[in-house]
Amino acid sequence: MRQVLEGSHAVSEAVRLARVQVISAYPITPQTHIVEAISEHCASGKLPAKFLCVESEHSAMAAVIGAASGGVRTFTATSGQGLAYMHELLHWASGARLPIVMAEVNRALAPGWNIWVDQTDSLSQRDTGWIQLYCEDSQEVFDTTLMAYGIAEQVNLPVMVILDAFFLSHTYEPVDIPEQERVDRFLPPIKPKFMLDTNEPYALGQMVAPGEYMEMRHDIQQAMDKVPERLERIEQAFEGAFGRRYGTVEAVSCDDADIVLVVSGTVSSTCRQVLADLRSQGERVGMLKIKMLRPFPADAICHTLGHVEKCAVVDRNCSFGAGGIFAQEVRSALCNLQDRPLVFSYIAGLGGRDITGDTLMDIYGKTRDTDRPPKQSEWIGMTS
Amino acid sequence: MFKFADDPLRFSRSSISSRGNKTGSWRYLKPVFVKRTAPCSAACPAGADIPAIAHLTSHGRYKEALDTILRENPFAATCGHVCFHPCEHACNRSQLDDPLAINAIERHVGNWAIREKYQPVEKSPPNGRRVAVIGSGPSGLAAAYFLSRLGYGCDIYESEKEPGGLLRWGIPAYRLPLDVLTFEIDRIRKRGINILCDQKISESFLNTAAKQYQAVFVGCGHGRPVQMQIPGEDLALDGLAFLKDVRKGHPSPLKGVSAVIGGGNSAIDISRSLVRMGSAPIVLYRRRIQDMPAYDPEIKLAQQEGVRIKELTLPLAIERHSDSLLVRLQKMRVDDRKTDHGRSRVTPIVGKQETLQVARVFRAIGAVPEASWQQPGIGSESVLELSHCTFTADGLPIVHGGDLVNQTLSVSDAIASGKQAAMAIDIYFHKGWASIEAELAACRVAQGPALSMETYCDPEKSSRRHPQIVDFKDINTAYFPTSERIALDLDHPVDRRISFSDYRPDTSSGALSQEAARCFNCGMCNACDNCRLFCPETAVCEGEARSIDMDYCKGCGICVEECPRSAMVLEEEGHETGS
Repeated sequence: MRQVLEGSHAVSEAVRLARVQVISAYPITPQTHIVEAISEHCASGKLPAKFLCVESEHSAMAAVIGAASGGVRTFTATSGQGLAYMHELLHWASGARLPIVMAEVNRALAPGWNIWVDQTDSLSQRDTGWIQLYCEDSQEVFDTTLMAYGIAEQVNLPVMVILDAFFLSHTYEPVDIPEQERVDRFLPPIKPKFMLDTNEPYALGQMVAPGEYMEMRHDIQQAMDKVPERLERIEQAFEGAFGRRYGTVEAVSCDDADIVLVVSGTVSSTCRQVLADLRSQGERVGMLKIKMLRPFPADAICHTLGHVEKCAVVDRNCSFGAGGIFAQEVRSALCNLQDRPLVFSYIAGLGGRDITGDTLMDIYGKTRDTDRPPKQSEWIGMTS
Repeated sequence: MFKFADDPLRFSRSSISSRGNKTGSWRYLKPVFVKRTAPCSAACPAGADIPAIAHLTSHGRYKEALDTILRENPFAATCGHVCFHPCEHACNRSQLDDPLAINAIERHVGNWAIREKYQPVEKSPPNGRRVAVIGSGPSGLAAAYFLSRLGYGCDIYESEKEPGGLLRWGIPAYRLPLDVLTFEIDRIRKRGINILCDQKISESFLNTAAKQYQAVFVGCGHGRPVQMQIPGEDLALDGLAFLKDVRKGHPSPLKGVSAVIGGGNSAIDISRSLVRMGSAPIVLYRRRIQDMPAYDPEIKLAQQEGVRIKELTLPLAIERHSDSLLVRLQKMRVDDRKTDHGRSRVTPIVGKQETLQVARVFRAIGAVPEASWQQPGIGSESVLELSHCTFTADGLPIVHGGDLVNQTLSVSDAIASGKQAAMAIDIYFHKGWASIEAELAACRVAQGPALSMETYCDPEKSSRRHPQIVDFKDINTAYFPTSERIALDLDHPVDRRISFSDYRPDTSSGALSQEAARCFNCGMCNACDNCRLFCPETAVCEGEARSIDMDYCKGCGICVEECPRSAMVLEEEGHETGS
């Protein structure tokens, strides 16, 4: 049934329909609406789950790690500073191979105190062993959350479902919310591959000697390597059930393009309009939306961009001293190709500043009119 | 390392439970549950275990709460009605918001027993010794109660036709209803104690008592009123005799203005009784209201009911003036100097005199013992002066107690006196005269003077022995949100003025439980389980009492830090303090 929902509540609905068993969270704007709605579902009995109120994000993650070790389906959500506070335990969750799903609402890091969108928080956690999926709209958020449980429980790695603060988390859109039975068919109950057992007690995460640690880490890498193929199968099933699919990347009009705009999150929607406008003007432009950052879909990106002349990567984030993070990732994916595009890196929309159609037009124009990319990322729309 | 599935999923896992890792071997400090003394308990003359009583009451466990009161005091409901609760002044909670309403809790528990007719009687095996108790006031009844618990047979001699002493004859019914008193006297009588009424005792009794008794307790109180030594004094009525008359018969209406001379609790009791009989009382007191020995709440209640208090007023003479009396009064002023008792000295204002025309005058400036044998000898080698009684062992042991020797003339101090006397007599027979002081000192609640019968009966098992009083700074106030003290229902002053019935309707059990739950339970484990929840090794065990599994306690001290009520301490391993 189609409902007009806030982006945050699209997540909450997915959590409810996924029959999550343990939720633990600490409120932080702009994430709060997600767990607020879930807590109401728990209180009303709509979702027969245990909701653990804790005193911090660090404890929230610790609580879901404990619950997931007990073999149940878990959820938490956070944003910005809260995610930074979880950092240590993000490594633990993936190292412990726990299929936790977390909604992460991209929020700028302080100081200056800022509650608006910025991807630097989640990108700071790209090496923690979590699968990262960036969403464009509320429907994608809902669908991705359901699929996140599928992939997490298959490869035993935690998943971050990432959405832009306010532009997505607080915007109302029509969302198709399927009936419980249909979701149940797509997502059966969790079948943990291991779990704590009070009848046969043992401890998990014990000391590991140098002779074995590397093998465990290699397993995580291998699990990550399997994600694209597994996710493809899950998406097929999802498409069969609900008629939608997204891919790890989405290429639009790239086949004959000279220049491709590389985007992620809600900017993708703006870019679709810019693309239509430029195409109507006869410009040979394409768009590549990167949905999955970890594992990085290098093959799909090389396949799409290999023949292109130039690509312009729009980053709503910055690794200080290195520049836009998506641009770095794209460059490293392309660098061993015989023929590869010039990679232009742009930084825009930090701390909630709007990335409008004009911003993208500006980026397109600069890329088209410049022969070689500057050495550093170009900051767009600076007032001084 | 375990491989959990066909997929690459290797992960470290122990082959046995983590219980195999006995973290207790890391410990060099260990947490210990202690029961420390709460400040209320130390301030209570009877040494009641108030935190335990409040804890039990908060859970509706009235029977156990009453039993806990009775271990240290036979007068639960009586004290709930008349005690001036020094405990509440000491309550640590008053430093957070308002003190716990301990008096109301005790009254509620005591009333519950009366309503439910709960009268526990455990008789102690007789030890063959008999004690004569002279006077059935609070000290005599308490002495007999505690003596009988120690196995002594007791005969109480009472000069009046009914037992109770000051409780029956000196405290008006609106403060202590008769059914409350008779129920609690029955509790004592049912232990097998004989109360022989209408038996006026004279000095000759002491000469022959040794034939029947191994010891005598003298607790007959003050029988002779203090004289004012002013002209026309014989025109004044005796206040205590008036209170007795009121309690004996149906009080008849009194018209006109009555003067009441004095500033103690009796003066207030007389005045409030006069209000109820239709008279308009004026209290004449030579110092200021704040210097009155009467308890503040009583003064306030009296004023609400319409009692006028003329302070800094010294009666000089009483004269007859046709149908009425004239009291000549000298106005006084406060001096800069202090008296020996630390009160402000008052001196007459020269030339400032006035007269007051009244229908009658009551004198209530105190009383003294009626006969010399009622006063203990002092200074002799055979006389031992204790905090609440005086022990004379020149031949037949004679212990003087109650108002005859007490510094503070209150019901709870009289009970303390009876308890101390009982313990002293028992020590005398078992360990000898020379051991009395040291043995009593070992039974003190914290630093005393209150004594614990529980400790005396079973020093090993007693939970009342900790010398340290819990201070407010020992309380982890993070766990105590502020809350309002119960608003006690009192009858409206206008209604109170026409009735001798109790002006404090019984509070609902729900409200009382809520109030009892405000108690910090200073220094006692109330099984709140903070320690258990915070223990990183889950080493705190449930059970009748919380305990610690030393196989796993690594001595981190988190439990001690998180204990809200200072009922745990951290001790160095191998350096037990024995607490």
